[in-house]
Amino acid sequence: MGGLKWVLAGALTLAAVPVNAGTANGVYTEAQAAEGAAVFAERCAMCHGKQAEGTWEVPALKGKFMANWGRESVAALSDYLGRAMPQFAPGTLEPKDNGRLVAYLLKINGHPAGAKPLPEDHAALAAIRIDPLAATTVK
Amino acid sequence: MSSQNWYPQAGRNAHYARRQMLRGGAALGALGALSACTGAGKVASAGPAPRRPYLTPMRVTPDQLIDMKCCIRPVRAAGPNLGTQMIGDTLVVHNYGHGGSGWSLSWGSAEVAVGKALSVLPSEIAVVGCGIIGLTTAVVAQRAGLKVTIYTRDVIQRTRSFRAHGSFTPDSRVALSAPAGAGFGDLWEQMTRLSWKGFRSMLGLPGDPVVFQDAFALSDAPPVKKHHDADPAIKGAWEPGGLPLQESEWAHYMDRIKDLVPDPVMLEAGENPFPVAYTRRSSEMHFNFPSYAHHLLTEFYQRGGLMVMRDFNDPSQYGQLKEKVVINATGYAARDLWRDKTVFPVRGQTGWLVPQHDASYSLRYKNASLMAKNDGIVVMNNPIDLGEMFGVGDSMELPDPAPILEVMKIVEPIMAGMKGIA
Ligand SMILES: Cc1cc2nc3c(=O)[nH]c(=O)nc-3n(C[C@H](O)[C@H](O)[C@H](O)COP(=O)(O)OP(=O)(O)OC[C@H]3O[C@@H](n4cnc5c(N)ncnc54)[C@H](O)[C@@H]3O)c2cc1C
Repeated sequence: MGGLKWVLAGALTLAAVPVNAGTANGVYTEAQAAEGAAVFAERCAMCHGKQAEGTWEVPALKGKFMANWGRESVAALSDYLGRAMPQFAPGTLEPKDNGRLVAYLLKINGHPAGAKPLPEDHAALAAIRIDPLAATTVK
Repeated sequence: MSSQNWYPQAGRNAHYARRQMLRGGAALGALGALSACTGAGKVASAGPAPRRPYLTPMRVTPDQLIDMKCCIRPVRAAGPNLGTQMIGDTLVVHNYGHGGSGWSLSWGSAEVAVGKALSVLPSEIAVVGCGIIGLTTAVVAQRAGLKVTIYTRDVIQRTRSFRAHGSFTPDSRVALSAPAGAGFGDLWEQMTRLSWKGFRSMLGLPGDPVVFQDAFALSDAPPVKKHHDADPAIKGAWEPGGLPLQESEWAHYMDRIKDLVPDPVMLEAGENPFPVAYTRRSSEMHFNFPSYAHHLLTEFYQRGGLMVMRDFNDPSQYGQLKEKVVINATGYAARDLWRDKTVFPVRGQTGWLVPQHDASYSLRYKNASLMAKNDGIVVMNNPIDLGEMFGVGDSMELPDPAPILEVMKIVEPIMAGMKGIA
């Protein structure tokens, strides 16, 4: 897929970013995602659905979600959640819940967990890209 | 659609009566009456006394039969396949095996398949098959921003999808409960609710691709709710033979969407236009194939879609397409092409009578089912005692007019005995 192209483009334009800084490399922990699931159930599921499946009106957080956020940085997603969600009370997510939610969203979209939790530091989050999934890992 | 349905008419009368009351100065009392009837839920009961509607009898003599169609429902024991697999470096996302529910689940099922395709961020995909599932999938993918090429043996008008009945029946022979497992219910509900919204967005479009109309279930004895209890005399189940042995094996999920589907109502003797003791009215939603296909094809081409006529003989050929993400929507043909022996045939056939636009309702009596559509009144002979087992394992796809003529004969005296306004 376009992965190689991206890596090359990334290496040229963002020389400071390590080439393996994408979500394909396991950028959150299972524990973080599990905590995120609890936050999701409480703050998000009433609109986006228990399985994040969405409705005709409310976006699913799986599927097309990847097309919307793929190749963005994790920081962009995290900032958006912090700024705009939940829509009925934007800006009310605790910053650490924000990170947990990002971990949960990555997990349900097929990105692998790893040994280290998502960093809290914004610059570090900005260096992590949301990778397209490898075709062989799509379930 | 020029409608002779009496129910909306009765609704308008009730509305008119309320307006008159308000105008008459009895505002407070009228408001009280309004809120009382809102609370009761059934506005019709607050209207004028029920009157027998005038319904145009359907013409059901044998000479009216202008077409016969036969079709195989692509039932997959565990429910539709929405799984993925790699063919070389190509990601194949399956979307086949929708049983007697392919039309009804089309939008939701497409959403799930396209979602999986999107997760590798392709800019273009291929869809194999152009029945209701493939074509809807292609349009959903385009709406998500993808460039789509359909590869297919036949365009929708020549597919099995065009040989269906075409009403909203999302759990009709959709899966067997044991192999489907408990989890499928949630996915089914998700697909059904999304599809419902999809159809709602097509109501009222030119050519009436989606229509609501009154459906009447007639009987000589009081109607009884059907149960699907297992018959202990029948030993075994769908495995190892690959076919269900009795009705209780089929999965049913309609209870999950009770909030969407209007309640049926028993007609009182004075409002029953049919010469039978019991008539139950419900609302059914159906799809008019020609205009529905026209709308989807128009959108597909306007969004720059490409249609390539091609017949695949082996899954390896999917890997040779230039698109590296392919959604497989080949319906019953997937059984052979993808060697999926959990797909089994359930035969069904329809007779088509000359379209009668002044008779826009549906009717069931004994084994007969008639539904007026834009392109004809569709007739089926569905033996009540066999239920969902009728046609199981039968892959003979040639039509036989005899059973259709038989139920037309049953309905003839009903039509002849229909009463006008009391
Ligand atoms: C009698 C009857 C009544 C029904 N009534 C209803 C109803 O009321 N409501 C409802 O929701 N559903 C109903 N159904 C079910 C519904 O018709 C099916 O579930 C639906 O048509 C399946 O659609 P599909 O697109 O998967 O398959 P198909 O319509 O069979 O389309 C398959 C496509 O794949 C293509 N294809 C196949 N093999 C190949 C190949 N090797 N190479 C290239 N292209 C290929 C075909 O040309 C076609 O374009 C009914 C079915 C029957 C038989």
